[in-house]
Amino acid sequence: MDFPENIPSDTGRLEQIVSHFFPKALHIVLESRIPSMQSRSRTRERLSGLNVKKSDKWFNLVMGDRPAALEKLHSWHRNVLDSMIIDIILVHPISSDNLEDDHANSSSTTETVIERWVVQYENPLIMSPQNSDPSTRYQKVYKKSIILLRSLYAQTRLLPAYRVSRQLSSSLASSGYDMIYKVSSFSDIFSGAVTETMKEFRFAHVEVPPGHLCASVTYRSDLSDFNLGAHITLPPRIITDYVGSPATDPMRFFPSPGKSVEGTSFPVRAGRPPLTSSAAERPHSWSGGFHRPPGHYATPNQSFSPAHSHQFSPGSYDFNWSRTDGFGDSHQLSPPFSPSGSPSTPRYVSGSNSPRINVRPGTAPVTIPSSANLNRYVSSNFSEPSRNPLPPFSPRSTRRSPSSQDSLPGIALYKSSRSGDSPSGLMNNYPAQKLTKDSKYDSGRFSGLLSSSGSPRFGFSRSPSRLSSQDDLDDPDCSCPFDFDDVDESGLQYSQSLDRRKTSSSISQSLPIVRKSSQDAAVGVLVHMLKTAPPLRQDSSTYMASMSGVQREGSVSVSVSGTESEFSMARSTSDALEELRNYKQLKDLLLSKSKSVGGATRVH
Amino acid sequence: MNCEVCQLKELEVESFEIREVLRCILHTIVFHRALGLIRPKDIDLELFEITYVQCGEIEVEKKIDEKIEQYISWIEKHPNKKNQICVSFYEVKSKQPSWFTNKIERSYWEQWYINLNVLQPSKSPIGKSHHAKLVMDPGEASEERNSRRTQLEQSLQEVLFQIIKFVNEKKDHVPPINDGVIYCPFEITTPSSSDSTFGMDMIKRMLHSGHPSMLG
Repeated sequence: MDFPENIPSDTGRLEQIVSHFFPKALHIVLESRIPSMQSRSRTRERLSGLNVKKSDKWFNLVMGDRPAALEKLHSWHRNVLDSMIIDIILVHPISSDNLEDDHANSSSTTETVIERWVVQYENPLIMSPQNSDPSTRYQKVYKKSIILLRSLYAQTRLLPAYRVSRQLSSSLASSGYDMIYKVSSFSDIFSGAVTETMKEFRFAHVEVPPGHLCASVTYRSDLSDFNLGAHITLPPRIITDYVGSPATDPMRFFPSPGKSVEGTSFPVRAGRPPLTSSAAERPHSWSGGFHRPPGHYATPNQSFSPAHSHQFSPGSYDFNWSRTDGFGDSHQLSPPFSPSGSPSTPRYVSGSNSPRINVRPGTAPVTIPSSANLNRYVSSNFSEPSRNPLPPFSPRSTRRSPSSQDSLPGIALYKSSRSGDSPSGLMNNYPAQKLTKDSKYDSGRFSGLLSSSGSPRFGFSRSPSRLSSQDDLDDPDCSCPFDFDDVDESGLQYSQSLDRRKTSSSISQSLPIVRKSSQDAAVGVLVHMLKTAPPLRQDSSTYMASMSGVQREGSVSVSVSGTESEFSMARSTSDALEELRNYKQLKDLLLSKSKSVGGATRVH
Repeated sequence: MNCEVCQLKELEVESFEIREVLRCILHTIVFHRALGLIRPKDIDLELFEITYVQCGEIEVEKKIDEKIEQYISWIEKHPNKKNQICVSFYEVKSKQPSWFTNKIERSYWEQWYINLNVLQPSKSPIGKSHHAKLVMDPGEASEERNSRRTQLEQSLQEVLFQIIKFVNEKKDHVPPINDGVIYCPFEITTPSSSDSTFGMDMIKRMLHSGHPSMLG
């Protein structure tokens, strides 16, 4: 066994095990609870290739460097017979109902112990006879202590306080909440009332002759009393270019830039973009991206106040950790850190039983991908829709990238809402005249595209003119790729063929690329395409539908009346095959285009 | 050395939840049996508010993902069945190589049974129009879905607690850690085409371990 330190005697090794157990346990607990230390662990994961320090190899669990404060903390714990009691304390505002003091201001906070971890080495008064072979005894003890620490590590992730600490590490500094700790060798016993709210879990002790190592945790199982979800929020963002829901108002004329848009059922909430079911159930071609640790909470400028002395008093800590823009960060986190998060809040806004996306009328929240990745996709004179499903964007895999100037306002709004930029600058890129001109054109087309099937349809008249290049499709982290180009009549055809599909599908199949001048319809097209695009899991051969008449832009004339009847047709296999054929053609076209253009999007 | 067996609480999952649930459970089990030098990785589930820990070994991840895919494809062919996935940890004991055989014997020292009941999504009743269904169902269906998901989340947490408890309580049977070995060798057994054999094996094991619940 690879023992970190070379100590000849068995007894010496056993002592080493005990003495190193305490700081390791402390490190595990604090790293999982204290927001500032969590960021260090993200760094550790990112720098996983670096050499591991000898001290970090203890118990075969690489935790990364211990913060200096932790080292000081542990230097106090010299006597292994002293218990180590780690109190995890939640600092939270006092609710106004409880205030008895009239002079108490709104900023007063109180502290509540939400967890107490106890690690101790109990030395029995009477030594039990040692039956095991001394030479292998330390190996068995070491193995068992490794297992104990593994389970302690896993347990820290399971208890409710972990979620809270993650929320705190990503939320704003002004939330009034904080999580601090206190380490001592003795502490007050919880009152009866408090004990009732707490549960206890005792880890099985490990015999380390002459005593045994014990660990236990007493924790509050229910943290909803603290109203964390309501208070720890990301900053609200005003969406000035709100896109209406296709279900509620397909004919809606979207106002020109600067006007306020009434809220519709297309919510993209900060911190928790609504997921459609298939967005998260999507095959794991991109789900791996979510397994990256949500990495970028706080800046490295955090400092603990290193004023740890033997006697800690609650509230004496003042961790100066700055929080990054929570908005952008939140989107790298999984939904638990959403502002509306009570721990049991279901993640899906429009979940469904089927693994495919179901867009229900009237509710249809659709994740519009961040335009952060729009730059990556080349626009070309696309006239045929790509059959190759584009990598599905995920609301959580958005990137904080500088706002691009080449995205639709509809898309830009989501991006800017995430990055904090005002969308108005982006809107100015689009000439108002074009909007006026095209809207009339668009609205005429809208009527022709409404199907009689009753399922929600987006009125649209825009075609995808560009789609992502193949390279970008492979990236599991990319959001919906689209760039916006001129409207094509061929795009109408394409959209209509998509519209023919009845299968509810994942959002980010083929994304329409539309001209900047018809933002409203473009977004409509986009959303519709996202809704009706085929699911990723279907075999590609089923997409061999050849889409009729999809050609290069400017060369196709589409009859609106003809499409009306098409919508009422039942979808057939041949239709699907046709569509697939068209997709493939489109994909090839885009690939060739992307090569020629070189991956740059046009800035309008 | 005795073989410790742990039967995990049964979970009702829908097909799209299988991957996440299984990844979570399998990785948690293996993490507790990866006793070599590891750099743990915290993974947040997408469908649930649960974070589990991976041991960080690529081979483990690949193996688990592979087995999950196998299981999912089996499930698609055999819907609406209760079934088990078995994780068995073993020690390799090579027999005396004779000129007959060079067989390597595996001595199982721990087995975990993950019990899943895969539900199929309810189909819309024949005869109702698509539109009508949409109008009638959304509210109730989404409520039911949410409550089912919440319940599954709680059950999954209980399963993880169960794993931690078991791992804590029984440590003596774990074989010594060999130098250079990161994780205890294991195999994952999923239901396969030879269903009957698998079923009989399961029943035998269950009888030995004395859990009548699966027989009911």
